[in-house]
Amino acid sequence: MTIVSPELQSRYGKPARIVAIVGAAIMVFAPMVPWVYTGKILDDMRRAFDPSGLQILFELVALVLLGVLVTSMFGVKLGKYKNVVAWNSTALAASLGGLGYIAAIVLAVAVVGSQKGLGGLAAAEPGLWIALAGSVIASAGSVFLRKSPRATLAKVPSPAWVQILALVAVVAMVLFMAAFAVNLTEVESFLVCCVFIVAAVFVFRATGVMGWLSIATANNRKVLMLAAFAAAFIFPATQDGSDANMTVVAQVLIFAGTALGLNIVVGLAGLLDMGYIAFLGAGAFTAAVLSRSAYATFSIDLPFPVVVLISGTVAALFGLLIGSPTLRVSGDYLAIVTLAFGEIFRITMVNLDGTDGPNITHGSNGIPAIPNLDFFGFDFGKSHEIFGITITRQANYYLLLLVVIAIVIAVFANLNHSRIGRGWVAIREDEMAAEAMGVNTFTLKLLAFAGGAFLAGMVGAVKAYKDTSVTPDQFVFLESCFLLSAVVLGGMGTVMGVLIGATILKLLPEKLRFFDDYRMLIFGALLVVMMRFRPEGIVADERRQMEFHDEDEELADEVEEELVTHHDLLNPEGGK
Amino acid sequence: MDVIIEQCLNGLSLGSLYALIAVGYTVVYGIVQLINFAHGEIFMVGAFGSLTIWLLAGSPTDMSIGFALGVMLPLMVIGGIIFSVLTAMLTEKIAYKPLRSAPRLAPFISAIGISVFLQELVRLFYGQIPGFPDARNKIKYPTITGISGASVDIGGVQLKMTTVFILCALAICTLFLWFYINRTKVGRAMVATSQDQMTARLMGIDVDHVILSAFAVGAGLAAVAGIAQGLYIGDIGYKMGFMAGMKAFTAAVLGGIGNINGAVVGGLVLGVVEAFASQLGDTAWKDVWAFVILILVLVFRPQGIMGAKVVDRA
Repeated sequence: MTIVSPELQSRYGKPARIVAIVGAAIMVFAPMVPWVYTGKILDDMRRAFDPSGLQILFELVALVLLGVLVTSMFGVKLGKYKNVVAWNSTALAASLGGLGYIAAIVLAVAVVGSQKGLGGLAAAEPGLWIALAGSVIASAGSVFLRKSPRATLAKVPSPAWVQILALVAVVAMVLFMAAFAVNLTEVESFLVCCVFIVAAVFVFRATGVMGWLSIATANNRKVLMLAAFAAAFIFPATQDGSDANMTVVAQVLIFAGTALGLNIVVGLAGLLDMGYIAFLGAGAFTAAVLSRSAYATFSIDLPFPVVVLISGTVAALFGLLIGSPTLRVSGDYLAIVTLAFGEIFRITMVNLDGTDGPNITHGSNGIPAIPNLDFFGFDFGKSHEIFGITITRQANYYLLLLVVIAIVIAVFANLNHSRIGRGWVAIREDEMAAEAMGVNTFTLKLLAFAGGAFLAGMVGAVKAYKDTSVTPDQFVFLESCFLLSAVVLGGMGTVMGVLIGATILKLLPEKLRFFDDYRMLIFGALLVVMMRFRPEGIVADERRQMEFHDEDEELADEVEEELVTHHDLLNPEGGK
Repeated sequence: MDVIIEQCLNGLSLGSLYALIAVGYTVVYGIVQLINFAHGEIFMVGAFGSLTIWLLAGSPTDMSIGFALGVMLPLMVIGGIIFSVLTAMLTEKIAYKPLRSAPRLAPFISAIGISVFLQELVRLFYGQIPGFPDARNKIKYPTITGISGASVDIGGVQLKMTTVFILCALAICTLFLWFYINRTKVGRAMVATSQDQMTARLMGIDVDHVILSAFAVGAGLAAVAGIAQGLYIGDIGYKMGFMAGMKAFTAAVLGGIGNINGAVVGGLVLGVVEAFASQLGDTAWKDVWAFVILILVLVFRPQGIMGAKVVDRA
């Protein structure tokens, strides 16, 4: 990113660095003095030398900025470490990120202050203005710094333990941030925190740490997975026995699990399915109908794992049914066929109420009062105390969902890297060519539908027990749209991307209740904007990124270079 | 016998609605091979646009028949068309044009986004304009003297004036469309572009302009359908576009997508079939049958009943 011309940068580079350092020093100092006079705005930002959570976040940005600026002052003296980190770009990202963050806080103080009758910005203490001024000065200095060459950090060989340690640290950081963000009850604080997270991601990208991390990830995929799951398992401990956030997080998991199933169909096999919510519905209804609820129509007392398998199988059968037209239709015709199937499913569930059809689902009332699960005396409906940590009802289901998601991810990852996965990708890229190469397209396409549906059905079974009731209106077309957007937004064909997409789409509306009414509006606009500017999603599959930007030479070189680096590092002995 | 004629008329009016909307799908698909998922919303915008004109005119309720048919109705139709066409052209510029060379999934998802966005825009903000009804619920459509509720008796069969209106609208629109496609320069450019975009461009046709006019023409007809639906059913709502859009798309596919005559025939057939299905007392499963027809046609005869062009798209 270049804001001022290179000539100006080379002329004023040196004084600008001094200015930036002064700004950064001011930023470091700012959190030590009060920002607002009352504790009622955002979190407690009124004490001197005792920064609040949001202030500490600012301090972090400031310290990184100062560190980077000072280190890069040594310039050539850094020797071979000169280009390891993109010092100047990082400084620019950090200062602009800090500026954006403090601007968000100022805005929040103004809004909350006037809402609560505390006089808007009049509630601000000098500290806030010092922080703002520091950020402005630092940004003004940083834009004059020369653009640094691409960071070579990714090419620095590092021992395995460093990589693993770094990954664990990253996971811990993510866990900490997630717990911190989710526990912010005020909407404005949450939004400010989101601004920080976005800024932090940009800073990381600018340093080149992201590139190094992706290598480390590629080397230690299993370690990362384990660490991530361990963190996810610890998450309920950060909630202090409260159910409020766990409900939301459990919903996110349900959504994410279903989206991962859809990711097989859309992301890997490239078959656009617009009625996918029907599979979740099929699983949920199967589990509900078989449950011990007084309204269940086929109440059989089966152990839960069996119910999950049955639900998955029923959904998979639906998947086969819906997938069968793929023999003949493709592209957006398939999208319409699946959409029609989804609607047929919903209307059928409404009609199976005893008057328009046999009574299986109690029509639009659905099946309520599904009893809680009971594993060998472990009642999912009650709170449990384990190692002094209270695991609430929602937390129980959250943990169960984590296990299911782990299965889903394991299946997905293994399929992705198998012969089947490669077959799917081949079909996605060019079905004709794939068939000519001997890929059994029909079987593979059916398998994609059935496999994805099975996973969604399993998640649906847990959903039925967690929500305690299943009604047809939970499975409307809009939900299918949401799922699809989670996949598209996050990045088709990637696990990480879909998890991020699902979290964004489910968590944001839940935390931002006040714009509950506007969320669909924003969501629609987001889809359009996303397709326009980053059609490959937040976390892009490399191949897909190339496909979407085939005229962009620079990006092509970048991706190629990254791939080569990856390849060299993963196969140090050389040779292709 | 009377019942059969009555259901036929019902079916034909329903079918005319579908046909008017289906033309929009077909014209756009014929040229850019895009299922304009937001077309149902364009139809909804048309209905709301005409309502807006009525509200701006001071919501006249007791109109003389001359004023109603001579001034108010034409104004509402023109207003609805203007709203729809502007919306459609805007969406084309914003959401589809930048994605013309992107993989096929991208414009489709963009279209879903537009569809959701337009629905929500109407739902949230229509009622906020001073003096306008809240669009979160269904809104009663204004009654036009001489059409709403009126009927003529022809040989013992009650012929509703709304039916007459819809059938006339379809007839006029089809004539207009025929003239537009076959007798105007833009229309013939459209045909040429749908046959071979590259060659059309080489022959000096402004393809972007042609695509934009295809969206505009479809939107205009959809607006007429929106007004017709308001008069025929009696109320409009922000959700009306989804189901109507799906049905119309079914009609377009039934007739052979890309084929304008096919869209009209497909719409009428679907309408009549649906009317008789509800006559047989199967209202709960009515929509299911429509979707089943859609699936069967897509799977077994993707070129539709009239289509000669075999569609093979990946």
